[in-house]
Amino acid sequence: MLILTRVAPTADTFVRSFRDDGAWSLANYAGLLTSPTFRDSVLVTVLFNAIINPLQVLVSYALAVVLSQRLPAVGLWRTMVFLPMAVPPAVSSIVWGVWFRPGDGIFNSVLGTLGLPDQPFLTSPDQALYVIMVIASWIGVGYWMTFLVAGIKNVPAEILEAAAIDGAGWWRRLASIITPLVRRQISFVLVAATVANFLLFVPVQILTRGGPAGSTDLVMYEVYKQAFIFNDRGLAAAQIAILVALVAAIVGVQFRLLSDPGERARRA
Amino acid sequence: MRELPRWGRALLVVSVPLFSVVWLAPLAWTVTAGLRPSADVVDSFRSLGWRTFVPESVVADNFSSVADGPLGRAIVNSLIVAAATVALGLVMSALAAYALSAFRFRGRGLVFAATVLAFMVPFEALAIPLADAARTAGLENSYLGLILPGVGNGLAIFLLRQFFLDVPHEMAEAASIDGAGPWRVLWHVYLPLTRPAMVGAGIIIFVFQWQAYLWPLLVTTDPSMDVGPVALARLFGQYGVDWGTLFAGAAVLCLVPAAILLAFQRTFAESVVGSAVKG
Repeated sequence: MLILTRVAPTADTFVRSFRDDGAWSLANYAGLLTSPTFRDSVLVTVLFNAIINPLQVLVSYALAVVLSQRLPAVGLWRTMVFLPMAVPPAVSSIVWGVWFRPGDGIFNSVLGTLGLPDQPFLTSPDQALYVIMVIASWIGVGYWMTFLVAGIKNVPAEILEAAAIDGAGWWRRLASIITPLVRRQISFVLVAATVANFLLFVPVQILTRGGPAGSTDLVMYEVYKQAFIFNDRGLAAAQIAILVALVAAIVGVQFRLLSDPGERARRA
Repeated sequence: MRELPRWGRALLVVSVPLFSVVWLAPLAWTVTAGLRPSADVVDSFRSLGWRTFVPESVVADNFSSVADGPLGRAIVNSLIVAAATVALGLVMSALAAYALSAFRFRGRGLVFAATVLAFMVPFEALAIPLADAARTAGLENSYLGLILPGVGNGLAIFLLRQFFLDVPHEMAEAASIDGAGPWRVLWHVYLPLTRPAMVGAGIIIFVFQWQAYLWPLLVTTDPSMDVGPVALARLFGQYGVDWGTLFAGAAVLCLVPAAILLAFQRTFAESVVGSAVKG
């Protein structure tokens, strides 16, 4: 089953990306390297990820720290923060899209109440990408948080008690003990978020269709457009291959940077 | 992490519930919007206040128009697809996990590594090329075409294997000495001991299918085969949307997984997050 639905198409994509009009060629890749649309799309995707991934890690870690405290009904609050993950992203995109409507959306009503001017949000080339980030993060951070909560709960209580006896305050324990011990989970979340966000598709397809002025034209949407609107499967396959290579390279760098320095020394 | 300063704890006791409620405001609003008379939905945007979340009058019209329209049919499709995927997927994952944990054979490590690797290549990256293959195979506009990608779920296999490995080997051996074949060992020893993991794997498979958007968009051209999210997005894209119907449909699509998650909250957290830490 896995071979049928995962391995075979990977190979097929790779082969197809080198085919053009029934012959082997690099034409698809050459075309992409010189295409300004694709170049802009890659730049937008990189910018999007450079902001959204650190943001999601930070927010989900902050949530995890707070929601791993002993509080009344904390399990319920955790489930509530996690819940957006279980909702189809198409639904979340539509609801948030309506809230961000420029004329009469709820966010503009809030701004109006505060005496601030209306914002164009999704209809502005300067704001649309950031609105997409907000939507994607609302969906994702609760899910990432659950991994970090599990990591924090795994920190042995004795170490924390010992540190407290030695006079380490709450912030000190968080920064010097808990965070280093949850490092593995934090790395996992960063890598998983990177992969998910590089492949983000739903809010773009439903809300902006890559616009305005290409400002939200993430590569996944560009691939979809090439394959199913312009019907150029070879070019789409080459785009996918470049996207996957880009993600693999970035994840590789993240792994290197995040692997525990002590562990690296031991292995060497 | 305990022993916060007292004022800090007091602050959290008040602010965490508040934050969680605000966090879910878009979903709560979706449900109330579905209960409003259609004409009031857009008005609720303009006049901001508690009335934004509490309708003046509650009607069930929108839900009945969802049930009678294409959206209702699409939601039924989603239910059929998700249920069938969970059933098939659990059988497949349990068998795969059983083979990868209870038996020793040459290349077992390799097969397991391949499984994990295959699940790290995200499905979205392959959906577009795979859709062509599905069309050539005649799976376009069929339930089978919608179900198949969700059946082989690497995460579910990984999760079940972790739990199967914890089943004491002696128990399986004792059962086989008493004359139980491998099928009976799986059914009477492994499955009863790993129920939380089965629930977790079932939820993972269900959520994957319930959220599916790109794949159904690619393999269905006949609107009567649309799944819920795709039909909803189509409705949203139309000029002159009936907001009441739209949000009633959205509410149903939110409430189904929310109910499932809340019902299995404890088991799910134990199994999935537990194995994530171990793994």
